[in-house]
Amino acid sequence: MARARKVFFRRRKVCKFCADKIDYIDYKDVKLLQQFIPERSKILPRRISGTCATHQRSLQQAIKRARHLALIPFTTD
Amino acid sequence: MRTYELMFVVDPRVADEEVVTMTNDYKNMITAAGSQITSEENWGRRKLAYPIDKLNEGKYVLLYISSETGKTALPEVEHRMRQNDKILRYLTVRTDEAIKRAARRQPAGGPRTGSAASEDRPDAGPDIDVEEEEA
Repeated sequence: MARARKVFFRRRKVCKFCADKIDYIDYKDVKLLQQFIPERSKILPRRISGTCATHQRSLQQAIKRARHLALIPFTTD
Repeated sequence: MRTYELMFVVDPRVADEEVVTMTNDYKNMITAAGSQITSEENWGRRKLAYPIDKLNEGKYVLLYISSETGKTALPEVEHRMRQNDKILRYLTVRTDEAIKRAARRQPAGGPRTGSAASEDRPDAGPDIDVEEEEA
């Protein structure tokens, strides 16, 4: 929603997993996880992605599992 | 009942047939201990996200295991995998609890009905995860 003062948009962020009703975040779902690892392959923080705490926790777990199996990178350089 | 997923990555220089025999070996160990292989996926050759032992590819195999008794031989299987240097990586994950928890969150219509969350769990092991439900 737009705050009237200047052209200042702040969209309300919604947890993707709550919205899509994904409750079990699978470490094998590389496509899904990829959305939460930007360029440097770090885990996208909650404050940016808007993921809720519960889901961020399981997301984090899934990403780390996927990294171990070399499905997604630890770093990119 | 417990369910597990066992994924492992094999050196790509190993022939496909040998991967199959290796997989069968592990499957036999698991079934011999009284657990079932519910399904199996062979992803085949896949690019690794980062090089492991200077290799850029790996062959991925995935086993789904279910066990009524809790005897799975998984520690032994893992031990064997650790010693087998053709296996680059392996990961065993117990999935029944996470999936059950996820399933419980669904029918409650998303937002937490705290009472239901604590009741439909008769004796299932340590109750650490209950707090997550925001009862």
